Amino acid sequence: MIDFSMYDVKAPEILGYKCLTCGALHYPAPMICSKCSSRRDPVTGKRWETFPLEGPVTLLTWTRVWNLPEGYNVKYLLFGIVEFENGLRASGRLGVDEPRTGMKLNTRVEESDERPGKPVNVFVFE
Amino acid sequence: MTTRVGIVGVGHTRFGNSSEYDLADVMAYAATDALIDAGILEQRHEVDQVFVANMASGIFCHQTSVASSLVSRMDMEPVPAELIENGPASGASAVKVAYMAIASGMADVVLVVGGEIMRKLTGWEATDTVATMLHTEAEYNMGLTLPSFGGMFARLYMDKYGCTERDLALVAVKDHDNGALNQYAHVQGTCTIDAIHDNVTASVVNNYVAEPLRMYSTCPVTDGAAALVLVNMDSPKAALFKKKAVRIAGVGSATDTHCVHNRKDPLLLDAVRIAGEKAYKMAGIGPKDISFAELHDAFVILELAISEEVGFFDRGKSYLAVRKGETTIHGSLPINPSGGLKSKGHPVGATGVSQVVELVRQLRGEVEEGRQVRDPKYGMSVNFGGFGNNVVAIICAKD
Repeated sequence: MIDFSMYDVKAPEILGYKCLTCGALHYPAPMICSKCSSRRDPVTGKRWETFPLEGPVTLLTWTRVWNLPEGYNVKYLLFGIVEFENGLRASGRLGVDEPRTGMKLNTRVEESDERPGKPVNVFVFE
Repeated sequence: MTTRVGIVGVGHTRFGNSSEYDLADVMAYAATDALIDAGILEQRHEVDQVFVANMASGIFCHQTSVASSLVSRMDMEPVPAELIENGPASGASAVKVAYMAIASGMADVVLVVGGEIMRKLTGWEATDTVATMLHTEAEYNMGLTLPSFGGMFARLYMDKYGCTERDLALVAVKDHDNGALNQYAHVQGTCTIDAIHDNVTASVVNNYVAEPLRMYSTCPVTDGAAALVLVNMDSPKAALFKKKAVRIAGVGSATDTHCVHNRKDPLLLDAVRIAGEKAYKMAGIGPKDISFAELHDAFVILELAISEEVGFFDRGKSYLAVRKGETTIHGSLPINPSGGLKSKGHPVGATGVSQVVELVRQLRGEVEEGRQVRDPKYGMSVNFGGFGNNVVAIICAKD
């Protein structure tokens, strides 16, 4: 039987990491917890938990980049550094054309194939 | 007693477009210049060790094992030779490792050569190659580049301290004034504040790259090489050299978070501050003793921020010093008398070595007419890897 169903296709996501020994949150994944020095085993993930980075963020700074690297066929892209409500920060693209430092945005993750290699998941804050 | 390490030879190619040439040939040319300057071309087998600084020849030139290639072209076998890679701070890291090799007693004479040929690729490809130093998942994959971080850093700095785009343009004007007098600089023309900022048509020639940074806020993509000969000043081999050594008085380096967003305050360049403090401590001096500095202005905002982190100015005040002309060649603290990365250019693997070449030439009193710093005693360089995640500071002294 061939199963053409799309039920197992997951929406793209980017993960944060929680050290279950001390509760510290991390992004991107560390190999050693900066708070309690617990080691993370990237294969088993034992004593660590992952969770999707999502929800409201605050924009800390931003730029509009006109000279994009090889592979990007758009006039410009906006990028920013944001802070999630849990205190984690991330860098990513902005989906608003007139950003202001301090503004509230929401998190979306989409697949990008501009860079060489396999498609990757990227943040779009909008 | 601490081993005294001095610089007795310098070499430098004209920075610019060398994309028709082989990287190892370009590096060998600068290295040969350094041996000639040191007076040991025929005695080059007295060199105990070669360190080659290069960031990404495997991508830029599809060429690896550059250290082996270099020594063979210079007929220097069987001298030991290794490659040092630390992103855009590879050059200063190679100088640091050379210092350590001499201080450890493993070598008395070391040749350091830094070089990069970036322009075999298109500007877009070069930007992408440099961006590979970012965190793969959390930065590079997002589409971020080094200018992106320069732009976001500049916005934070300008919002917090009141620095304007005109202030950034004033740094560029000063750097191009200096570079125009430097025979080795990539861009040998001057620019005026009217042309790149004040005039209503300025945005045509000075368009945005990564807002609020414009073309005249960023360094060009550059090819070139620079070289140094270092010696143990207390070894018998020191007698080989005719020129008085310029002493390496202090070396400091430090790292910071790979991801910029993970810094408690993204406006603080902790690695710069710590590297500077270590170099001062080793030299037994402080910021007020520095006569001039070569700072890593890949983006002109970094010249301002680095000058504050190493203690030349209070935080958020450096642009006011630029307005008053304090950082010009004839000012109280000349910064980037070579033209800096902005005008001289930034062949990534060569830059840290090139900065130290400028320190030596200034301290010897050998630079071109019009850009000699008055009676310098100490010169400082800061070579900035990644977006401030791996930094090396070097202080040279005229004894």
